[in-house]
Amino acid sequence: MTSTPPQVHFDDVNVGDEIPTLTVTVDPTQMFFFSAATYNGHRIHYDRQWAKEVEGYPDIVVQGPLQAALLARAVTDWIGSAGTLVNYAVQNRASAFPGDELRFRGVVTAVRAEIGADTAGPATGLVDLEITGLKGDGQVLMPGTATVRLPRRG
Amino acid sequence: MSSLPEPSEDSRDVEPLIPAEMAARIGEVVASRTAVVEVKEFQRWAASVKDRNPLYFDAEVARANGHPDVPMPPMFLQQVALGVADLDQLRPDGTAGTGNGNLSFPLCPRRMAGGENHTFLLSVYGGDVITQERRIDSIVEKSGRSGRFVLVTWKTTYTNQRDELVAESTSSMIARP
Repeated sequence: MTSTPPQVHFDDVNVGDEIPTLTVTVDPTQMFFFSAATYNGHRIHYDRQWAKEVEGYPDIVVQGPLQAALLARAVTDWIGSAGTLVNYAVQNRASAFPGDELRFRGVVTAVRAEIGADTAGPATGLVDLEITGLKGDGQVLMPGTATVRLPRRG
Repeated sequence: MSSLPEPSEDSRDVEPLIPAEMAARIGEVVASRTAVVEVKEFQRWAASVKDRNPLYFDAEVARANGHPDVPMPPMFLQQVALGVADLDQLRPDGTAGTGNGNLSFPLCPRRMAGGENHTFLLSVYGGDVITQERRIDSIVEKSGRSGRFVLVTWKTTYTNQRDELVAESTSSMIARP
């Protein structure tokens, strides 16, 4: 990342707002690095013959935790350096495969100002989101919710 | 020798997917491990997600946002205290089972992640010492569109070297015949 995007503030967020959609096509190289970074030896993520012949998948399977990490990234990209992820909950609904176009999106469902919770720190507010990972054809891979803390203006 | 009644046509004669010795383990602590957070490990993880958030890579950006150093990506937390696998003890599918209790469901060899729910309470930095304690919360047999399956749910707490609760998580796994 060469430049930091402008910081989003709690005051500027409204129910119904959509966060920028993250569109990603995972390839086997990225899957290899993710398995390495998570110490994941599960053969369905790298052994195509095993995935197809033993487990009946059409190809190696994108790791569920990678889908989850990408969906979280859509949220943390949006909240910027001054925002924090407070809660993150997702369900794995479907498998994705290398070459699939994946879309990760979120919509604001509630905003809650935090009053007097921490008088020493900067003023903040909580934002609830409904978040979804989808395939290009619209199939839901991963539905969920997130709550983030954003700074207030001024 | 009297004969037992014929099995009825309903599902009562279907073999349970959850062996009794697995059901008996509900509530058991299956992992309690402590590990030091390594900046390079969480940066490699972020890079594999292609998450180049400057907060994780640039200490100046981190300090400008109130952190003493680059914070760990919160979603990396579940990786911090992973064990070391014995490659000769892996299941045929390459999974190790370390950290979730080595639960065995012989009738359900196909496993996939179910869901996860994390509440993040405090930031974590390189050098922090994280203790992860994971407990089997439930093991239930369910029936869905694609047939019967086993749903296992774990609850996990993460504390730091000051005994502060850093995060709490619930996670689940689905095992299918």
